[in-house]
Amino acid sequence: MTSLRTEGLSKSFGGVLAVDGATVELREGKINGLIGPNGSGKTTFFNLITGMIRPDAGRVLYRDRDITRHSPHRIAHAGIGRTFQLCRVFPRMTVLENMLVAVRRTRLRELLAGLRDKGEVERARHWLRRMGIEHLEDAEARDLSYGQQKLLELAAVLMAEPELVLLDEPAGGVNPALIDRIVSLVRDLNAEGRTFLVVEHNMDMVMGMCDHVIVFDRGAPIAEGPPSAVRDDPKVLEAYLGV
Amino acid sequence: MRIASRGLPPLVAGLAIAYPFLVPNYYLVYAGALTVMYAAMATSWNLLGGFTGYVSLGHSAFFGLGAYGTGLLVTRMDVPWVVALLVSALLVTVFAVGVGIAAVRVRGASFVIVSIALVSMMNLIVQGWRSLTGGSTGLQVPSPFPDLHRGETHMVFFYLFLALLALALASWWYVSRSRFGAGLRAIREDEDKAESLGVPTGAYKVTAFALSALFVALAGGLYALWFGSLDPIFVFSILIASSMVLMSLLGGVRHLFGPLLGALIVAPAGEYFLIALGETQIHLTATGLVLVLVVLFMPDGILARFSRRRAGPSIPDETAEQRLQGVAP
Amino acid sequence: MNLLLQGLALGVLTGGLYALLASGLSLYFGVMRVVMVAHPAFLFLAAYLTYTVHTTLGLDPFLALPLTVPLFFALGVAVQRLLIARLAPENMAMMSVLLTFGIALTIEGLLGTFYTGSYKSVSMEYATRSLTIGGVHLPYDKIIAFWVAAITLLVLFAVLIKSRFGQSLRATIQHREAARLVGIQTERVAGYGFGVGLATAAVGGTVLALITPFFPASHWVWIGKLMAIIVVGGLGSVVGAALAAVLLGVVEGLVLVTVDATWATIMFYVFLFLTLLARPQGFFGGRLAHRF
Ligand SMILES: Nc1ncnc2c1ncn2[C@@H]1O[C@H](COP(=O)(O)OP(=O)(O)O)[C@@H](O)[C@H]1O
Ligand SMILES: [Mg+2]
Repeated sequence: MTSLRTEGLSKSFGGVLAVDGATVELREGKINGLIGPNGSGKTTFFNLITGMIRPDAGRVLYRDRDITRHSPHRIAHAGIGRTFQLCRVFPRMTVLENMLVAVRRTRLRELLAGLRDKGEVERARHWLRRMGIEHLEDAEARDLSYGQQKLLELAAVLMAEPELVLLDEPAGGVNPALIDRIVSLVRDLNAEGRTFLVVEHNMDMVMGMCDHVIVFDRGAPIAEGPPSAVRDDPKVLEAYLGV
Repeated sequence: MRIASRGLPPLVAGLAIAYPFLVPNYYLVYAGALTVMYAAMATSWNLLGGFTGYVSLGHSAFFGLGAYGTGLLVTRMDVPWVVALLVSALLVTVFAVGVGIAAVRVRGASFVIVSIALVSMMNLIVQGWRSLTGGSTGLQVPSPFPDLHRGETHMVFFYLFLALLALALASWWYVSRSRFGAGLRAIREDEDKAESLGVPTGAYKVTAFALSALFVALAGGLYALWFGSLDPIFVFSILIASSMVLMSLLGGVRHLFGPLLGALIVAPAGEYFLIALGETQIHLTATGLVLVLVVLFMPDGILARFSRRRAGPSIPDETAEQRLQGVAP
Repeated sequence: MNLLLQGLALGVLTGGLYALLASGLSLYFGVMRVVMVAHPAFLFLAAYLTYTVHTTLGLDPFLALPLTVPLFFALGVAVQRLLIARLAPENMAMMSVLLTFGIALTIEGLLGTFYTGSYKSVSMEYATRSLTIGGVHLPYDKIIAFWVAAITLLVLFAVLIKSRFGQSLRATIQHREAARLVGIQTERVAGYGFGVGLATAAVGGTVLALITPFFPASHWVWIGKLMAIIVVGGLGSVVGAALAAVLLGVVEGLVLVTVDATWATIMFYVFLFLTLLARPQGFFGGRLAHRF
């Protein structure tokens, strides 16, 4: 089954075609990798899917529903969560408060529910525990190390119960011990039924973790397939070496 | 944050309730009522400014509209004053929703500019629409308590403003511990990130904007009934809005009692200036200079000094790794 | 018809002054990402200084310029280096508005204290006459104001485009980090940028004193007008600001002759709100608007 499909998605900034007619299909329940040289439009592609920027052309369909030009919060409510390349948390809020920002529904009762609402706080603690940062719940997010902030960002995204999670360079700027931790987390979360799309430069991580890899070059996919096949594809080498 | 916790608030509340009976003359009751009015307005302002970080210099528009709405309903339509007050505040809230939808489309400094434009525009309209508002000659509103003498009226309004302040504080407190409040704070920190987590930021901002306008409009309506005479140049002056901003910033916008503390400092100081120097314009300079100093040296306000967290990153990286090794399967 | 032509002509003439003042705001925004709310307050400070020079020394108002222009340049450098540069970068946009707002209040209070709150004006004999072309009356003071503003703008553009300082300034505006890497002292350049901005306010103040009576609180109206102009023009776009200035000047002039002064001023806010609803980033470029 198709989780997400984009059709001819395009976006240019001034003269730069950042994403150029990208047609991509993600399979439900898989860990999809998205690789490509710097500047090939991966982050812009994420921004287009999540409604952070508007496409010049093309469509985004999630589970066969057209979500093109929906506002980001509606896309989040539809079940798509994302992290950012440069991790973003709310620096002057505590870790627990960071967790309670995410809302999947905006019913009045939920909005007025206290921050100490038992069920929700328990859910937040559950995710913090799985990230291994539950002991930090009362710390301000700006006091966390970068790695801890990345874990917090992921935990907060999961709080919104997404079925499709987009990770933009989850291993960027974190130490090797943490990378292993993140890989095993993503595997576990995937085993629980979540679909992933992971942008990553760490090839060991991509090859070891992903079921399916899409290669971007100049704003559009140039190859895709199982990790081993993609690695040996001459077009991919060419894109990376810039021949 | 916990400085003011336990004993202090009940003590201050008790003192506030007893205040009119503790002071030797009615002038001090009057000054007290004025201070509480500003405290209520600054706390209402902080429902928007403190949570979302959207600094409005246009809240005097809601003050003035609340005042004129109440005054007009009482004088032109003979509505009882309580009804006039509530209806006018409600109308202003509806208006604020409309304005909010346009205004919160822009962020940061643009929003401040839009808010300044709002109050200038209201000022012009009210002055220009002579047939309805009396123009720059002002509007006379009959006292709701004709049987009380001036001093007793001050006393009544002292308690009315105190009730409004309590309402504003309670609202701020309630929002601050709700998930709605968490969403508003997230908007202050990183609006786009909040959106991506599913927070409907537009609706949140408009709600906060309207809520904050509602209480300011109530303050304006009470002001109209209390003073009995409305001068468009004063009620729509940017100075009223800048007082709300200055009080909130000085006390600390992240704290429930920040704006109240700021009002307790700024409003009596303003009254003192008026007595000591008479009707000069130098109080503008004083307000301006204090604002400059607060922005430069104390942008987080006085209360932040008491709730200072440990300096610098307090959680070393090692702790995380050690923890992770403990948790790793 | 004649009335409309009259309004159009007046609008273009005032639009020149608006363009000069709005370009100052664009300059501050360019170099420091600062919205300088105190610009009109400084404008009126200059007007009052012109008034003093004119009334105490009996000089032509334009002879105040050799005094006010260098003074305002120095003030601008001081404001940037001593105040604005101290603000923490993460909340710069908001805090700078509040800071300059505080400066504006300070100036207004001082003007009110020294000059009282009543109207002042500078009237020259040449300002009372007007030029009549085909039934349209063009007061000489407005014509002079237009040309002074236009010439100042041209000089400003020439400096920005031709001089070494102008090149450094534009480099700083376009990419601060890169400018620093190629050896431009961006801090100093930003200070001078502010100085130049305030110097244009000095020229504007003299012109203003000539064409209209003023009192200390009048700067608020001008904040509203100028902000409307730069929002409509698109923030950070000097050309956009100039075009919007003339456009809104003309609209103001037309409404002024057909309806009244209140509505003429309200038109600025109407345009401001319509722009926000239709195109928050402004109508003439304004790539930076969303960040401002
Ligand atoms: N907001 C923006 N404004 C202008 N250009 C942009 C913007 N975002 C991305 N770009 C450009 O689009 C191209 C793709 O960038 P990006 O999506 O970040 O690539 P990647 O994530 O694959 O490294 C780059 O050339 C980049 O400079
Ligand atoms: Mg990227």
